[in-house]
Amino acid sequence: MYRDIHSWVGIVCGLALFIAFYAGAITMFEAPLNRWASKPAVFSEHTPLEKTPELVEKVLAEYPKAAGRYEVTLDAGFADRPARVMWSTGPRGRGTTYYAELAEDGSLQVHTEGPSAVGQLVDDLHQQVGILLDHELVMQLVGAISLMYFIALISGVIVLLPTLVKDLFILRIGKNLKRMWLDLHNALGLFSLPFHIIMALTAVVFAFHDLFYASQWTLLEKNGRPEFHEEVAEHREPLAPHQIVARLREQAPGFKPLYMQFHAEEDHGLELRVSGSNPRHGSRAPGYGIAGVDPYTGDLTSTDYMPGEQDGWYATLTSFFSLHFGNFGGNPIRWTYFLLGLAGAVLFYTGNLLWIESHRKKRRKGYEHLDVQQTKPSIILGALTVGISLGCIAGISTTIAAAKLLPLWTDALAAWHMGIYYTVFFLSVAWAFYRGAARGAVELLYASAVATLFIPAVSLLSALFPGVGWNHGGSTYLIDVMAIIGAGCFAFLAGKTVQRIHNAPEYSIWYVGEEVSPTQTVLGAQLQ
Amino acid sequence: MTKRLPKAQQLSSEHWFGKASAGVFAGYLLTIAICGIFSRFGPLEVGFFSAQAQITMWLVAPVWGLILSFCFLFQSSARAWAWLGGASVVLWSILLLFRFVIG
Repeated sequence: MYRDIHSWVGIVCGLALFIAFYAGAITMFEAPLNRWASKPAVFSEHTPLEKTPELVEKVLAEYPKAAGRYEVTLDAGFADRPARVMWSTGPRGRGTTYYAELAEDGSLQVHTEGPSAVGQLVDDLHQQVGILLDHELVMQLVGAISLMYFIALISGVIVLLPTLVKDLFILRIGKNLKRMWLDLHNALGLFSLPFHIIMALTAVVFAFHDLFYASQWTLLEKNGRPEFHEEVAEHREPLAPHQIVARLREQAPGFKPLYMQFHAEEDHGLELRVSGSNPRHGSRAPGYGIAGVDPYTGDLTSTDYMPGEQDGWYATLTSFFSLHFGNFGGNPIRWTYFLLGLAGAVLFYTGNLLWIESHRKKRRKGYEHLDVQQTKPSIILGALTVGISLGCIAGISTTIAAAKLLPLWTDALAAWHMGIYYTVFFLSVAWAFYRGAARGAVELLYASAVATLFIPAVSLLSALFPGVGWNHGGSTYLIDVMAIIGAGCFAFLAGKTVQRIHNAPEYSIWYVGEEVSPTQTVLGAQLQ
Repeated sequence: MTKRLPKAQQLSSEHWFGKASAGVFAGYLLTIAICGIFSRFGPLEVGFFSAQAQITMWLVAPVWGLILSFCFLFQSSARAWAWLGGASVVLWSILLLFRFVIG
């Protein structure tokens, strides 16, 4: 029974999870990716921190609306924050974001050219499993998918339990390809089970927290303490940013402040939240935690979300977030999460293909003398699996590569990035249906390899032709190197798939016919 | 272990809809009640975004997830509804009793 449950919830949510995991793996390197994809900043240097009060004063004189909420960047290396002072016209960073610095002569310089939109696109694809419709609406779907994902994990383990000892440490690479895929699926699933359970449960909460809070508040007795608001009576001068940084260093030496957010409202005066990280602790947001600071004295007023300064309850809570984001333990964990994310994507891809194969076998039981062909649903699911998975890969690669070229002719970067992704994605799905899963898989794998090679190609173009694109050097070359490795993997898989589809038994989803074209075998053999 | 159960007692996937809906609806009410028990008699809290209140909210995911995963073990849809619904009624009675009668 649990095998049926595992199959069905897997089929229903597998493809959405593939997109979430592939895009999620890439978001582990969102910062270098954004730096790779962002134009050289308009300002080459930040206004010195000591001169920031002057800068803020001039900004507020010229743009009084910024007084409600503005941010002061502290860490100059932060690619997402290319100016000392930033503010947005809309709530939560929506609307136009302005960037301001002081020129050498002390005059105010303001522009609205933000960092690349491509990192945010990949992040949105991850959060909304590739469906970029209304956020609230999609989150209901994501929550349901995450719950099914949890059920799939539990049922998968139950199915595996009886043969666990026999199957676990064995990868039967041989004639029976389905057996090999099943062994791989089991091994991946079981060894990354803790990771998957964390992801499933945190994703349920990320999607449904409003529902959960609302039902607890309406149905249960409230017994928490009321929130405490400090009254600020007299008007005083706030400390300058560099003084606040110095005060913070005294109070929490391990805390590395990234930026300050000043927030002013008439009824409670000026409030200050400092976002920052502590390399020895995880944090609640992917890149930072938050400290509440008194802007007049520099005293810490709230350390509930401050990495390294939390009590046990809040630290426990933060651990849920940082286990999802993988923002603890530095680069080794970052790479581990990246690989676990990719492994997760493989798990869902193999899971779907396994179902298709065993679905046919099951139907053949008792009818061995007859030809049992793939059913229409199997053919559709095969095409969907291949088209959606590889379309997502090719789409993300293409839209990343476009980042260095788009500014040549357009300012609407975010819209173009999304347009490019969806064009490639839907073309791939259509192609998979037109050509069938087997041929489609080969061609789309090659297409993914080519699309991924576009990434280092535009970097090369930028190096050769001045005026086209840019190269920042440093860790951004990691993006190009990873793209080359990725493209190599896709080409290798394409070669393997060519072999597979010509050796596949008749009626397999991979079967395309006996004739083997010489070029394909040569290509396949070379890539081994 | 190796002895097969009689057909009538074997679990099948047939009644998945009834069992799953019991897990979704009755299971959710039961989950909220369990959170209520922890916040009424345990260290957790509800409301006002304290750490304990946030953990109470987080508790929903694993508890509901486990109920949804194992609700298929009930013999029939009716039993699933009866057990999960019954457990909800018991826990909710305790909670309401302490809230309105005992105080």
